[in-house]
Amino acid sequence: MKRKVLAILAVAGLVLTGCGGGTGGSGSGGEGASGDKPKIGVTIYKYDDNFMSFVRRAIEKNADKAELIVVDSQNDQAKQNEQVDTLISKGVQALAINLVNPQAASAIIAKARAANLPVIFFNKEPSQSDLQSYEKAWYVGTASEESGIMQGQIIVEAWKAHPEWDKNGDGKIQYVMLKGEPGHPDAEARTKYSIDTVVKAGIQVEKLEEQTGMWDSVKGKELMDAWLAKHGDKIEFVIANNDAMALGAIQSLKANGYFRDGKFMPVVGVDAIPDALTQIREGYMVGSVLNDAKNQGQAVFDLAYNAALGKHPTEGTQWKLGEDKAVRVPYVPITKENLHIAEEAYK
Amino acid sequence: MGLQVPAQVRRGRKLSSFLADNAIYLVLLGLLAGIIAISPDFVSVINFRNILAQASTRVIIALGVAGVLITGGTDLSAGRMVGLSAVVSASLLQAQDYAYRMYPNLPKLPVVLPVLLCVAIGALFGLLNGVAVAVFRVPPFIATLGAMVMIYGVTSIYFDRPPYGAQPIGGLDPDFMEYAQGYFFSGPFALPYLVVYAAVVTLLVWVLWNKTVLGKNMYAIGGNPEAAVVSGVNVTKTLLAVYAIAGALYGFAGTLEAARVGSATNNTGFMYELDAIAAAVVGGVSTSGGVGTVPGVVTGVLIFQVINYGLNFIGVNAYIQYIVKGLIIIAAVAIDMRKYVRRK
Repeated sequence: MKRKVLAILAVAGLVLTGCGGGTGGSGSGGEGASGDKPKIGVTIYKYDDNFMSFVRRAIEKNADKAELIVVDSQNDQAKQNEQVDTLISKGVQALAINLVNPQAASAIIAKARAANLPVIFFNKEPSQSDLQSYEKAWYVGTASEESGIMQGQIIVEAWKAHPEWDKNGDGKIQYVMLKGEPGHPDAEARTKYSIDTVVKAGIQVEKLEEQTGMWDSVKGKELMDAWLAKHGDKIEFVIANNDAMALGAIQSLKANGYFRDGKFMPVVGVDAIPDALTQIREGYMVGSVLNDAKNQGQAVFDLAYNAALGKHPTEGTQWKLGEDKAVRVPYVPITKENLHIAEEAYK
Repeated sequence: MGLQVPAQVRRGRKLSSFLADNAIYLVLLGLLAGIIAISPDFVSVINFRNILAQASTRVIIALGVAGVLITGGTDLSAGRMVGLSAVVSASLLQAQDYAYRMYPNLPKLPVVLPVLLCVAIGALFGLLNGVAVAVFRVPPFIATLGAMVMIYGVTSIYFDRPPYGAQPIGGLDPDFMEYAQGYFFSGPFALPYLVVYAAVVTLLVWVLWNKTVLGKNMYAIGGNPEAAVVSGVNVTKTLLAVYAIAGALYGFAGTLEAARVGSATNNTGFMYELDAIAAAVVGGVSTSGGVGTVPGVVTGVLIFQVINYGLNFIGVNAYIQYIVKGLIIIAAVAIDMRKYVRRK
């Protein structure tokens, strides 16, 4: 019995020191160095999410202005709720919360309200009723449909500039769609609005295939393998909800003899990740849409910083709050002509 | 169990027993027939080649897991080891002119070096699994579950680093891509390197299982551990070797996976162990140990790949694909349990 208790204590000790080390490591300057700098607690839904890693970096760049405590919620909402409790007990003056589940906002708001703390949600959008339920809650993100609209614009411009891409000359785009996780708001919005935009521009389309590649390169490649075997040159455009799947499709196209001897297939994605930029420069990919991590991170910090100091969240910043209490950071369409904008985002 | 069945009843049951024993194959044949009926152009050389090439890395992983299953163990860490190896090999083999290299000053390496390194890393982690199982007597499910979680942590730490953070490691060296995407001959009968690697590994594993002492011991331990010990089998040494070999195979598969797809992330290989275990079981490997053949495992993987590819080819809803695969796995294990019960 005694030994059992000892063992439990030892494990508890390990866990506690482990946690302490983790948060201390990602915070700046540690507990003592607060001074007159406000203390801001930040949760990231998942550290190894490509995009969020850049947002996190952009937030952490402001470590000289505030004491930041950044934690990894490991894609677990229960864990995030506990982390928020810990952050509040550590005396943060503002919360910046990247929810795991957008539906969980009300629980976080209840905690913030109890501690009378401002809370800035980012990247995962809470419902309007949640956001409006607490006067000190705001949101920083994008307008989901915008990425689809911009992807559609890239398709329209490229298609008009390259009449030879209409291989069968019927004036329609025969396309295949690599969709993200079904039900994911970005996947649904991009799938819908990219095509809507093309149709609105007066170009007819014919969908040959639409299947989920779960945002994943391997699945993108394997779906493209199957579609090329099935449709071959009937496919005139490859539209992917994200770059990872687009890059997988490009690998498949290369392996099937495209991009040489005058054989070409236009591919578009979303995210403008570094690998995609290289493919755009080398002409394997037509374009992508940059989700501006740098500015999203900056906006999150600016709002949280102001709110922590008791000021209006957008005071003295470039950001504008809408009726919906949200700052929408615009997407940027990226093609060979303006690659430098995306490259800048990774510096 | 141990039921004495009268002779004529047994004969009467022959057909139904044949059907039950081969139910999984019949179901799959039915599915295949359905796919072809919906889309007759499924029967083509290109599709055949795509299926073989896509099955190749999976065969290598499944053979690793199957060896462990035959000893009566299991290996949940396979997928994460594939991921670790994919990330490490990709990071060491990025093209010289790629702007976002993980090691900007790394000179161009011959492909074989990182590949061997990854095989060694895989073997090392496999050996650690073996130590936990054979020396510390941790049940294989738990030991490899722990390893699975741990290796994911290791991979993520390696992967999520400045200057570019948790970005997919892409822009791979053309030589590295050629290593997995190249093929012998061109035209309709091109033979992908991937298929050749899988064939060579299959042959080596076949020799290992059937022609070596290690192979015989492996089956002996899985069939009846006590008897194996009594008859002088060195259980510890055999298990260490089997787990290490499995790890080496995952390491090799990881390099192929990175090069095949053209990029790697810390989630590369996620859940591959379940695909591999499922394929091995569908191919007749018993999860209770002691039973399984190399051709069976290869068949299991191919069956899964045909279904996978076929369902995508005819455009079946992704959620329904999950349901179909899940049903096949359960059916396969149900049949496996029948065999096991009969053996007892």
